[in-house]
Amino acid sequence: MSTIKSFDQLEKTREKLRAAVKKDLPSVLICFGTGCQANGARDVAKAFEEEIGKQGLSVNVTIGLKTTGCHGYCENGPLVVVRPQDILYLRVKPKDVVEIVEKTIKGGEVIDRLIYKDVNTKEAIAQYHSIPFYSYQKRIALRNIGNIDPTSIEDYIIQDGYKGLAKALAMEPEAIIKEVEASGLRGRGGGGFPAGRKWRSCVAVKSDVRYVICNGDEGDPGAFMDRSIMEGDPHSVIEGMIIGGYAVGAHQGYIYVRDEYPLAVKNLQSALVAAREMGFLGKNILGSKFDFDIKISRGGGAFVCGESSALMRSLEGKVGEPRAKYIRSVEKGLYDKPSVLNNVETWNNVPMIIMNGSSWYAGFGTEKSKGTKVFSLVGKVNNTGLVEVPMGITIRDLVEKIGGGVLGGKAFKAVQTGGPSGGCIPKDLADLPIDFDSLTKAGSMMGSGGIIVMDENTCMVDVAKYFIGFLVEESCGKCTPCRDGLPRMHGILNDITEGKGKESDIDTLMELCDVLSYGALCGLGTSAANPVLSTLRYFKDEYIAHIRDKKCPAGVCKALITYRIDPKACTGCMLCAKKCPSECITGEKKQPHVIDESKCIRCGVCKDVCNFNAVNII
Amino acid sequence: MAVDNKKIDEIISRYEKTEESLLAILQDFQREFRYVPEEGMKRLGEVLNVSESKIYAMGTFYKALSLEPRGKHTVKVCMGTACHLKGSGQILETIERDFKVKRNHTTKDMLFTLESVNCVGACAMAPVVVVDEDYSGHARPSKITDLLKKYK
Amino acid sequence: MEKIAVTINGRICEGIRDQSVLSLAMENGIYIPALCYHPEVASSGGSCRVCLVEAHQGGSMRIVTSCNYPVREGLEIKTDTELVKKIRKGILELLMARVPDSDVIREMAAKDGITETRFFKDEEADSRGKCIACSVCTLVCEEVVGVCAISMLNRSREKSPGTPYHKASNACIGCGACAYACPTGAISMVDTGDKRIIWDKEFRMVKCSVCGAPYIPEAQVDWIVKTTGKDRSFFDKCPSHR
Repeated sequence: MSTIKSFDQLEKTREKLRAAVKKDLPSVLICFGTGCQANGARDVAKAFEEEIGKQGLSVNVTIGLKTTGCHGYCENGPLVVVRPQDILYLRVKPKDVVEIVEKTIKGGEVIDRLIYKDVNTKEAIAQYHSIPFYSYQKRIALRNIGNIDPTSIEDYIIQDGYKGLAKALAMEPEAIIKEVEASGLRGRGGGGFPAGRKWRSCVAVKSDVRYVICNGDEGDPGAFMDRSIMEGDPHSVIEGMIIGGYAVGAHQGYIYVRDEYPLAVKNLQSALVAAREMGFLGKNILGSKFDFDIKISRGGGAFVCGESSALMRSLEGKVGEPRAKYIRSVEKGLYDKPSVLNNVETWNNVPMIIMNGSSWYAGFGTEKSKGTKVFSLVGKVNNTGLVEVPMGITIRDLVEKIGGGVLGGKAFKAVQTGGPSGGCIPKDLADLPIDFDSLTKAGSMMGSGGIIVMDENTCMVDVAKYFIGFLVEESCGKCTPCRDGLPRMHGILNDITEGKGKESDIDTLMELCDVLSYGALCGLGTSAANPVLSTLRYFKDEYIAHIRDKKCPAGVCKALITYRIDPKACTGCMLCAKKCPSECITGEKKQPHVIDESKCIRCGVCKDVCNFNAVNII
Repeated sequence: MAVDNKKIDEIISRYEKTEESLLAILQDFQREFRYVPEEGMKRLGEVLNVSESKIYAMGTFYKALSLEPRGKHTVKVCMGTACHLKGSGQILETIERDFKVKRNHTTKDMLFTLESVNCVGACAMAPVVVVDEDYSGHARPSKITDLLKKYK
Repeated sequence: MEKIAVTINGRICEGIRDQSVLSLAMENGIYIPALCYHPEVASSGGSCRVCLVEAHQGGSMRIVTSCNYPVREGLEIKTDTELVKKIRKGILELLMARVPDSDVIREMAAKDGITETRFFKDEEADSRGKCIACSVCTLVCEEVVGVCAISMLNRSREKSPGTPYHKASNACIGCGACAYACPTGAISMVDTGDKRIIWDKEFRMVKCSVCGAPYIPEAQVDWIVKTTGKDRSFFDKCPSHR
């Protein structure tokens, strides 16, 4: 494909590409997200290629075959979509392929065993967009993911790709900033700072050089929407950054990607090459006289690099420590130049806002949290994966309608949002709308959109200990509250989970929380207390149970639980005795078995292998 | 393990000679040699004209870099929140016990390096274990040892 | 230079725009404890957090480190509110437990009436000595001396200054600036006869041709000659006999 030199030429190219698409061509879309690949999507794709050949059909002539980014419904991968009927097949194995080609593609018939069955209603649904997991979604950020081949720039262009850029380049930079401001777009990476205002502050600083940066160092455990966007729709991020660069007067952009996301790095790299070849990057973009290019930098595995000044130090090739000075990085950022840093999902929304207008975008969401948000719905929930919904959806709707309720019919207890900087919101607040301000008011935060569902078997003290433990490891060690305070908090929480807690521990924890919230240097430290504060706020009784009664009500904390075999349920199959690593289970064949509690290391293997639910935690 | 100086120079030559390339080069060292060798850091300091102490500090700061040789296979047990809730701690402890290796250390025969890692972003398959580039979802303490024994 | 009025604990103090709150307080005889800030090192400060104060401006309040918070017209600083005292107490207690042998920390805490810490001495306390990981030593070495022989290594609670590979550093010139700048006296520098040992490296000292006292490491003379072009003979005599 040759370089596109003008807006007209872009539209002509788009028309030509669209004309070449055979609309009614039966086609197969195979999800190639990390989850589906892990479940064997590559073998499924290979099987399709072979089978199509065997049947005397040819790929992309009589039948379309495409590998796409993540569809979000990772739990049930590998996912295969058959068009034009829009049928979604779940957990497809290579051996299912013959049947799919034969029955569905050739015969138009639905294969019942491969379609979605609702866990609760038992209803079987074949149509992709009728499945509750998808039917409640409004996809703006994830608009292309699952529809396009992320390695094909042509696919992106067909779906109105780079149309927002062309429109932007014909506008005054000031008008673009106004448009982004009017859209109400707030940063999707954590604090929810208004993107337009950030851009404006950058422009307000006098400088000959400016940078735009994309934070793809998605660090919140339990959140993977940025991964999915970078892997599945890399051009959307690139296009957003070019628009941002033009609006603030930057000529160089950087994408900082987690090195743990190899597919994201690969797809971004090839997208940059393609964008350069077609003239969306480089000199005189689309004949506008605007020059811009993007470099990719791989992160080194440090959560603190999500903090803006630390990320910029890391981009400069230094240790990623936050800066202690009271200067905002939008004024003095990368190489001390004004820099706009937004995360992947934020940049990805920009082309849509420019293309469709700010009022279109602001039509979604709530008064102060506009647009849609991608959430990763994970944990103890039936349907896990990525979902995009308008801001303001309630926790209940997200968990019950889209998520299909709590796994295994257990009781819903809480959701954790905002990663290690966020907190746990109890089921009593399930009707809370999910938006930036409501979550903050409830003692948590939006963060990057991880929603972790917790059930009755989740111990909230253990959850607090887990997050503090995470932050102990990820603290950069520069300031006293974070470096020395977090390990102390972790020690206290550990004592509590081991039944060695004291009544005074709760006060000490609260004081340490204040030391961090007020005294720490960067955002990692000042928000680090949230997991403890929120669990103390809503689940203090669980702390008390550990401290006073030496009990873990959820049955999680090892030192406070006992594994016991229910003699009525035990069939004496001997499997647990065989698998027990400390050889502490005895019993005759077909007789109830017994665990020697003095030797039990509470590893949980017996419970894991038991097919009769006979091992209980008390 | 002897480190090939030519390979070191070849890796350095892949990048622009600026401080900005430091982390990328160190990551490539890690990939090539399975650790960041002292020779590599010394050479990098000379070529980029950056002090050795700064380069060494990077090696000690970033989790993706290791200053000691790692095993043939890297076993990453995801410690993300979803994995934690679904029992990744038990998975990790099982591997530690069955392979006699502590987390973030290497087995004596240099076959496995066991790492507890932050969220790998495959939460829907929790708990997740990643061996080299292979993801295994829905890992179970009773099955993980047999899975790892397949790696030689 | 633009002169401005700032209120500290109710007193109006005249300062210069962008000057730090800490230096303005010191000029006016107002005590704020501080450890990691060194006036000769531009990028020092902001790490130990003991100099926290309340900064009120435009109706909002935030807790800031006075060592690097720039003064602005209308800024009101409070150094001794209940909140400041509570946070500072927590930080000092953490530091006391971190470096139990440090008399500097103990005395600083005593000034605030804190004589004990609730936190136990941890396992690593002995190996870290008196170091509070404030990074002043490494900043002096890089920014003032210009050799960059030491850096802050590791992260989290293992963060500490050190030489590459924990071996004697080729870059170190034995000048001792790090040891002089350290707020807690954590860096060991031993001068015996014409030898100096610092960071596990031995240096030979140049003796003054007049008084005969060893006063500067040879390596430091080499460094100064190399970087400034100064004549070597300049170092024949110690500063008091030049």
